[in-house]
Amino acid sequence: MNYVFHILTMICFYIILGLSLNLLVGYGGMFSLCHAAFYGLGAYGSTFLMLNAGWSFIPSLLVGVIVVGVIAYLIAIPSTRFHGDFFILATMGFQIIIFSILYNWSELTKGSYGISGIPRASFWGLKISSPPAIFAVAFVLAVMVWLITLRLTRSPYGRALQAVRDDETAALALGKNVRRFKRSTFCIAGALAATAGVLFASYSSYIDPTSFMLDESVFILCVVIIGGAGNLRGPITGAVVLVFLPEFLRFLQIPDAVAANMRQVIYGFLLVLIMRFRPRGLLGSYSFD
Amino acid sequence: MPLGFGTALAETERMEQFIANGLCKGAVYATVALGFGLIYTTSKVFHIAHGAVYTVAAYALYFFLIFLEFPFPIVVLFGLFAAVILGVLIELLVYRPLVQRKASGAVLLISSLGVYIIVVNLLAMLLGNQGRVLRPGVEATVNFGNVILTRVQVAQIAISLLGMTIYWVFLKKSSLGRVCRAVADDWVLASVLGVKVQTTRLVVFAVGSLLAGMGAMLIALDVGIDPHIGFPVVLTAAVACIIGGLHRFISPALGGFLLGLVQGLVVWQTPAKWESVVTFALLICFLLFRPQGLLGIRQRLEER
Repeated sequence: MNYVFHILTMICFYIILGLSLNLLVGYGGMFSLCHAAFYGLGAYGSTFLMLNAGWSFIPSLLVGVIVVGVIAYLIAIPSTRFHGDFFILATMGFQIIIFSILYNWSELTKGSYGISGIPRASFWGLKISSPPAIFAVAFVLAVMVWLITLRLTRSPYGRALQAVRDDETAALALGKNVRRFKRSTFCIAGALAATAGVLFASYSSYIDPTSFMLDESVFILCVVIIGGAGNLRGPITGAVVLVFLPEFLRFLQIPDAVAANMRQVIYGFLLVLIMRFRPRGLLGSYSFD
Repeated sequence: MPLGFGTALAETERMEQFIANGLCKGAVYATVALGFGLIYTTSKVFHIAHGAVYTVAAYALYFFLIFLEFPFPIVVLFGLFAAVILGVLIELLVYRPLVQRKASGAVLLISSLGVYIIVVNLLAMLLGNQGRVLRPGVEATVNFGNVILTRVQVAQIAISLLGMTIYWVFLKKSSLGRVCRAVADDWVLASVLGVKVQTTRLVVFAVGSLLAGMGAMLIALDVGIDPHIGFPVVLTAAVACIIGGLHRFISPALGGFLLGLVQGLVVWQTPAKWESVVTFALLICFLLFRPQGLLGIRQRLEER
């Protein structure tokens, strides 16, 4: 039964990550490949506050999320000057820089050894440690993120963002500050991804930098692309499909060493096929064409 | 790599050594970057699967040399052949249908990423995830004054320069090269004037993959292989294209040499682990302050 709750919790994490990246990809038209960096910075940031500064869970969640939001804003300043391929390359560059800092600054992050013994989430003295309780917290957080993105995308802000995505010059002509829209969306998306990171750290109680590599950014992008971008049901579908998919391989009795590669092969084929035959994903409403 | 870490070596001599090491690596980066730049300017595909082509060439070298124990020159031909076949197949099966549908650059890039993931993980499933060394033992070295280079490093410089020269002659002197440049400049106009754009694209992918395969084998003989060697190299090649500029076909080579040199100097001053940070910090500086690259003359990247 714990296994089922583990899967459900992971789905909640990827729903949060997918919904936040969808703000960039589906609504802003920005293919960002540094989402795992924000996810990781959230995990590491809150871990420092809890372990080194002795803070409790809620303040470190809030401060961690705000700090990552600020970092995302700073990263957006140079990145959003570019379009298309060069935007993707720039965000990939930031992803690699942040991973490299997490991996190599071993005085601070213990490098590839990772940090263990991260305290469980607790709310006003109530410790959340059983799998169903953790799932409940993740679920509530996912619903909150869903509500935030819902509110955001149906507001004038969300509509203006879609206008920027569809025709930047037209949006500019209507007096919208295109770059400010892009930067603030980056900030919000980064902060939301960081909430998933904070929760992930306290759920697994051990983090190491390899969970936040470029591969992870590609995987989160897969969640959005395969599920579909530009609405909220797309990334949720993507998260459910992509987290469940490898679990089927487990039932096929494929050895673990091969299964990891086989999972990647399947993701790769899904990406190519989706791009070829259905460029708006399974349930998306924004076509990448 | 036999770096001169002896205490007797003076600091300047060590610097010369690191510069030489950097230039060897830079020569190979330059080769791969030329292939990437040719494909990018001509087909407008941000060809991340170039990294897959690179990896496959290195693994072909490993497979034929160690498993089947073929003689070395034949192995090299097989490696280049494997690279060209894969590059052309990717264009035929993946990019061509997308281009005919007039897909956006993002769709091409994501497909390319998908192809990279598929190829690399298939290789890992077939031949294992672990790293391998192609030439056990210490390489014979050659001395140039204060600088000591291994034979492989000498081969890296010499063969890369030879390859680049042939490539330059191909582009500037042969009629096929002229056609490639015409398609890169304006493929619609070229097709109106009777150039077969699709065939030209195949040629471009073949030539680009040839250069990638060459670079892959030169690096693989030096530091060995593992399934994930391709991605950092293709990213470095992309960065080299931006640093050098994309408006002249030869300028990515300049970027490649510069990156190799900078990485060599980074290894001299700091632990090698900061290499990738410096590469991408350099990329971001260039994107911010000189987006047209060192030799770029026309419009800025962000205006496209």
